[in-house]
Amino acid sequence: MKTYILIAKKEIKIALREKLVLALSSIILVLLGISLFTGVISYQQQQKAITKAQDEKRKEWLEQGDKHPHIAAHFGTFIFKPKTVLSLFDFGLDTYTGTSVYLEAHYQHQFMFRPAQDHNSMIRFGELSSALVLQILMPLLIIFLAYASFTKEKERGTLRLLNSQGVTLTSIAWGKIMAYFIILLTILTPFILGILLLSYWLKTPDTITDLRMRIGLLGTTYMAYIFLFVVLSVLVSIKSSVSRNALLTLLTCWILFTIIIPKTMANFGEGLYPLPSMKIYKEGILKDKENGLDGKTPKAVRIAKLEKELLKKYKVDSVQQLPFNFEGVSMQAGEEYGDKVYDVHWGRLLNIFNKQNKLGSYVSLFNPYMALRNISMGLSATDLSASVDFQKKVENYRRIFIKKMNNDMAQNSNYGEFYEYSVGLDMWESVEDFKYKTPSIYSTLKKYVLEFVSLFSWIILLILLLNYITRKTKLNNG
Amino acid sequence: MLKTNGLTKKYGAFTALNALDLEIKEGDIFCLLGANGAGKSTTINLFLNFIEPTSGSATINGIDVTKHPLETKQILSYIPENLMLYPNLTGLENLDFFCGLGGKNYAKAELGVLLEQSGLQIDFINKRVQNYSKGMRQKVGIALARAREAKVLLLDEPTSGLDPKASNEFSELLLEMKAKGVATLMATHDLFRAKDTGTHIGIMKEGVLVEKFESKDVNFQDLEKLYLKHMHN
Repeated sequence: MKTYILIAKKEIKIALREKLVLALSSIILVLLGISLFTGVISYQQQQKAITKAQDEKRKEWLEQGDKHPHIAAHFGTFIFKPKTVLSLFDFGLDTYTGTSVYLEAHYQHQFMFRPAQDHNSMIRFGELSSALVLQILMPLLIIFLAYASFTKEKERGTLRLLNSQGVTLTSIAWGKIMAYFIILLTILTPFILGILLLSYWLKTPDTITDLRMRIGLLGTTYMAYIFLFVVLSVLVSIKSSVSRNALLTLLTCWILFTIIIPKTMANFGEGLYPLPSMKIYKEGILKDKENGLDGKTPKAVRIAKLEKELLKKYKVDSVQQLPFNFEGVSMQAGEEYGDKVYDVHWGRLLNIFNKQNKLGSYVSLFNPYMALRNISMGLSATDLSASVDFQKKVENYRRIFIKKMNNDMAQNSNYGEFYEYSVGLDMWESVEDFKYKTPSIYSTLKKYVLEFVSLFSWIILLILLLNYITRKTKLNNG
Repeated sequence: MLKTNGLTKKYGAFTALNALDLEIKEGDIFCLLGANGAGKSTTINLFLNFIEPTSGSATINGIDVTKHPLETKQILSYIPENLMLYPNLTGLENLDFFCGLGGKNYAKAELGVLLEQSGLQIDFINKRVQNYSKGMRQKVGIALARAREAKVLLLDEPTSGLDPKASNEFSELLLEMKAKGVATLMATHDLFRAKDTGTHIGIMKEGVLVEKFESKDVNFQDLEKLYLKHMHN
């Protein structure tokens, strides 16, 4: 242990005296600072806008005056997706998944106002989030810090001198790894403290679950990723004869991990499991609602069947004789059939998303960047599953809200009575405001088992490889 | 102290060192002469376990260097032709670091004295090594050997490229260490230095130790003739 510490101390001292390392560290720290600052500003602005809009819409709903419940069901309401506090760290898919949805009877509207729509084309290259800096730029700093860790010693001849003191290559390697890890932790400390303080200052406890555990796991996972890149860089340096080769090898790995593999896999996934266009998707739902899921039970037939069943059940001759308003019941039945159709189509869509995601998870076994990216989005609750969960809960809320309107119509109004019947504030207040909570951390973790396995396996594999190579390598060329 | 038995190193069909039998006792300075590629550095690299022998063995203080490299390295000090230190550290910091690795801990003042005694100018002790000449770096190497209280010195052409004054200072330091019983194996091209400093001289050619004698048995002219004879044959 003493040898590791001596080597680590020496490495830190040298790194601090090298201007390149200081300059790169400063750049990373500035970028992290900027990304955190913009993340906080964006979070606060969006959160403020969402709260304001949500309050306005709630007020509109409550103050809509007396009217028929079905008219109220079409008057509808807006639901705004609340930002999670961790979205200031990792924007994830929030930029692309939309921030609000209009809820009304009969229709499942798509999410609107995707932030990406309001940005210029540069958004295609990704926003500068803290997660992006740590996932993509931090490995670059590590590469520049460690690519010459051994090659420089070989080129200078100091490695032979070190080894002649009775120090093993394994000790030298671990001493260096320890040094780089300490340097990186030092650079990250102000950022980590900043994140922790902001999380507690800005936290929205009603939205995100298990915040502490999420922050802890995010920290641990990012540390593991940084450690992984440090070990990889040192390992490549050990195996390279000259610094230039080590740098080229590591930059190639970086480009493969962060650009080529993710982009290729996204295209491959889309090719293998193509999503229908929005037009086709909507037309499919409309067609099945009109003609029935079997294609031969149109709406009129379904209503007639329901009418016949109810007349028979209540032993009456006409709908006017039923003890409730048949229009309300038939509307709810139509609503429920529409929900069934929507669930079938949405289920198909989700199935494709899941297949694409699963493919990404399998590929992440070979790409630690993709593994970290997925875990980070998941823990920040800005991933696809968080978005899907929100959509499901919103749809569920819509269904309860519409059912309430239809039931009231069925129970309290008469057949053929539409403009004559109305309800007021008591009814509007009985529709509770929508409150959202992210899925628990455990359900998130279950979705990213392969990604955790990937990071863990990479670390174990690299450690074993490093120990094996340092034991086998002789210094005849060094 | 240093001993080899039939020490051989082959690279494929090429024999870099062929059945070397050598013994260097405490207080001996054994100078290995020979052209480039004669096997001098190979011998030193084998003692350092930087390479493994094809056959035969090398021992330091009776310990096999291949089987117990860490133990043998605890008692030796190595100075290559061009001792490279960490340029961004001072001479004192370099010495402190390398001493620490060998398990020797000295106060800064003690290390300063060691550097000074090894001939490094006081002004340079706390300057970064990037400002050092080759001679200055070699002196840090000597200070390191002293600090580590090495029983064995392995020197690979340590005076190559040094000016005569610096070479002379280096020889004096070797003689000081010899007086303390340090066994030295020095590969060199410098016949004068070998005759002047060495207690024993060996001439190597194509991996074979072709001559071995005590330096007191020959004068400089005879040594030069003998060396040239082997080089020309």
